[in-house]
Amino acid sequence: MLRIGIDVGGTHTDAALLDGDRLLASTKAATSANVVTGITDAFDAVLADGGVTADAVECVMIGTTQFTNAVIERRELAPVAAIRIGLPSGKGLPPFTDWPGDIAQAIGGMSFMVAGGYLYDGELLAPLDEGAIDEAVAQIAQSPLRNIAIASAFSPLNAGPEEFVAEKVRAAIPDASISCSHTIGGLGLLERENAAILNASLLPFAGRVVASFEDALVQRGLTCPLYISQNDGTLMDAGFVRQFPALTFASGPTNSLRGAWKLTGLEDAIVVDIGGTTSDIGVLQSGFPRESYNIVDIGGVRTNFRMPDILAIGVGGGSVISPDGSQIGPHSVGHRLTSEGLIFGGTQLTLTDIAAASGALKLGDPTRVGDLPREVVKQAQETMHSMLNRAIDSMRPGGRKLPVILVGGGAGLVQNTLDAATEVIIPENSGTANAIGAAIAQIGGEAEQMLSYHQTPREEALAKVTALAEQAAVAAGGDPASLKVTDVSETPVPYMDEGAMRLRVKVVGALASKEGAAK
Amino acid sequence: MKIGADDLDALALGSVFLATGGGGDPYIPKLITARALEEFGPATIIAADDLADDAFVCAIGSVGAPTVSLELLPSIDEAAGALCAFEEHLGRKVDALAAFEIGGGNSLIPLLAAASRNIPMIDGDGMGRALPEAQMMTYAMAGIAPTPSVSYDYRGNVRHFDCPDPLEYEGIIRACAVESGGMITTVEHPMTGAKCKSAIIPGTLSFALQLGHLLEQNRGPAQAIAAPLADLFEGTIYGPCRMVFAGKVSTKSSRVVGGYDVGEAIVEPQDGGGEPMTITIKNEYLLAQIGEEIVASVPDLIVIVDAETSIPINAERLRYGQRIAVFAIGAPGVYQTPEALTVVGPRYFGFDHDYVPFSQSVT
Repeated sequence: MLRIGIDVGGTHTDAALLDGDRLLASTKAATSANVVTGITDAFDAVLADGGVTADAVECVMIGTTQFTNAVIERRELAPVAAIRIGLPSGKGLPPFTDWPGDIAQAIGGMSFMVAGGYLYDGELLAPLDEGAIDEAVAQIAQSPLRNIAIASAFSPLNAGPEEFVAEKVRAAIPDASISCSHTIGGLGLLERENAAILNASLLPFAGRVVASFEDALVQRGLTCPLYISQNDGTLMDAGFVRQFPALTFASGPTNSLRGAWKLTGLEDAIVVDIGGTTSDIGVLQSGFPRESYNIVDIGGVRTNFRMPDILAIGVGGGSVISPDGSQIGPHSVGHRLTSEGLIFGGTQLTLTDIAAASGALKLGDPTRVGDLPREVVKQAQETMHSMLNRAIDSMRPGGRKLPVILVGGGAGLVQNTLDAATEVIIPENSGTANAIGAAIAQIGGEAEQMLSYHQTPREEALAKVTALAEQAAVAAGGDPASLKVTDVSETPVPYMDEGAMRLRVKVVGALASKEGAAK
Repeated sequence: MKIGADDLDALALGSVFLATGGGGDPYIPKLITARALEEFGPATIIAADDLADDAFVCAIGSVGAPTVSLELLPSIDEAAGALCAFEEHLGRKVDALAAFEIGGGNSLIPLLAAASRNIPMIDGDGMGRALPEAQMMTYAMAGIAPTPSVSYDYRGNVRHFDCPDPLEYEGIIRACAVESGGMITTVEHPMTGAKCKSAIIPGTLSFALQLGHLLEQNRGPAQAIAAPLADLFEGTIYGPCRMVFAGKVSTKSSRVVGGYDVGEAIVEPQDGGGEPMTITIKNEYLLAQIGEEIVASVPDLIVIVDAETSIPINAERLRYGQRIAVFAIGAPGVYQTPEALTVVGPRYFGFDHDYVPFSQSVT
């Protein structure tokens, strides 16, 4: 299958054209102010290089950090009306509790708390207060707010109350855009509600972004389906992203990890993505990113998204070096490297200048670093290697040494072996690993429940939660027949009965074949 | 002394450390307590010694599974509601509140109630750490009956209990929590000021706050915090505090101890060489051993912190691959008597060995 993977990053737009497993062409260009132009330029480059016509492309996958950046920079965010179903519990902890002031101001439109929801054991927390729901919906209808987040206690176990309220909203406000928390996150009401609010807030922007991607495809005569990559390295179709933009928050690092896997075939390895400002270190386990178990903070808001476990350190191509070479970063000249770095005629000594001085990189004007003392070059290289070694060491699972795969634009900065690695691999095309990662992504889904193995025997519980995860994967565009369980996590619930468990299941599979998209 | 909303981060951090892996994530108790302290003003803290002998004191806290509160959120009026129901039931006003346990979210509930009702909280608690059952509280050990008591659930339903035997009482309130959505607030162990002075572990609230400040000020490698921690614990009601291991969690699994499933974490030593440490987990970290050698066991405190940040790690959050340091701390003296050890010693938790005080291995 011919497909194009594109990664729209803050500084670079990368693209890769693949035929099945074979990489036909790749490109890296600066991200333009106009995202559409950046994408069409990338299409032109890989299609010309690969000698392929637009109508032969069967599928386009795009990874983007635009939604994450929107939250972090507090822009493109629509105000949200939040409805929480959970009274009489949670009095004093309304929606938007513990949000940073600036983003609460940007998003916090209205919030309502009404009685209803479920308990851990499936019993009713309280009967739904229909009167209060009607009153809340009427108030929203009279306001200009059209983005609505709905969260209910234990909705991952029983989504009924959220669906009931969503139905009421749709009936009263036909142009409402709704995010229900059970479609977005697992257990943890406040975090799941926060995720639903962020998602609701991004919905108008998501419409514009997806339209711009689709526009880019149309402009180049690409009629194939479009997919967007999400946090865990799996895909969702374009229609799904219009509803769930928040699920793209960590797709950047995930795609580079998956690309590294694709480029090397290594199932278990450490991946170091060296960019302009940071090196992002992640771990491949069975070919997928190891996930972080911590609460994930997006722009200061607590969420319970599952994200890859990434350690970022201030080592990148644009990192500024102290005169004696003993200090690297954290300050970086970033995308101004090509004007501020020594070899490009600038005045800042950067890590890229060090690599050029040592002869490792053939770039810019090497004569401009010709008189750099050898000791400084050597010292800077040692500093870089020891920083990378220490960081890699702290990410190693179970004390095991693993191969280290270097990817990203700065992969060429490392020449020596790394003590923390069994071997260092810089695969061909490592510069566009993230675009390749986007191109090979599959569809996934996950589900989480709290249950008791005494009431629901383990096998039955696993089957039940797996079925929910599969539903999620199919909704995202997956082929039901291809879905496989890739992760099961069972956490005993403390101070509860023996057998009380938090059970999470994740499934991954192929894209459903539609309009020519295939396995 | 006053404790206000600004003190809660430090207090919660200190309580998580003293919770020895249990007690639940204090994030939500902290949020709701902060709301109460902002609304009603800081809570007044008094020393147990300052209680009048005839003062009327009770203990207040949550019973149930803290994980449940991730969905069934607490309400700002729950603790005060429980206290009112208790006073109504007993027909008299409470003069001061005591904590069940300083470890985890239960260090904050009395604070919330004290601020809402403008009565003092006593600087101290009934465990000096976190432990799973009511009869393990020093109030029960001192012969104070747990009842008459009341429970209060999220709906405001009140139940009265009359059951002087602490072990039976524990079974009854646990069942009540399960039936009431998984979490209840109980007000129990009515006692005089004089009794409280003899039963409470004194000073643990202000100590948790100090400990939290120390952890906040020393965010960094566990190696570096070992000495200041040892100094802080020196001369307190606790025994010595030492870092006993550093390494990486290589497996987390479960095995059966005394008929119950317990968790087990294996920690590989930091620099490759040497035997790993095994930590046995049932709600809290109960046992730390290297091979057959017992390094520390309940009721001594076993605390796991992140090796890089020294932030204590709850047992639910302990994961494969984490780099950690293990600290052991001698239990308060009150837990080291033969009578106390029958309810908080290793054998009570199903282990097949006697308690060996950690303090004996420290020179």
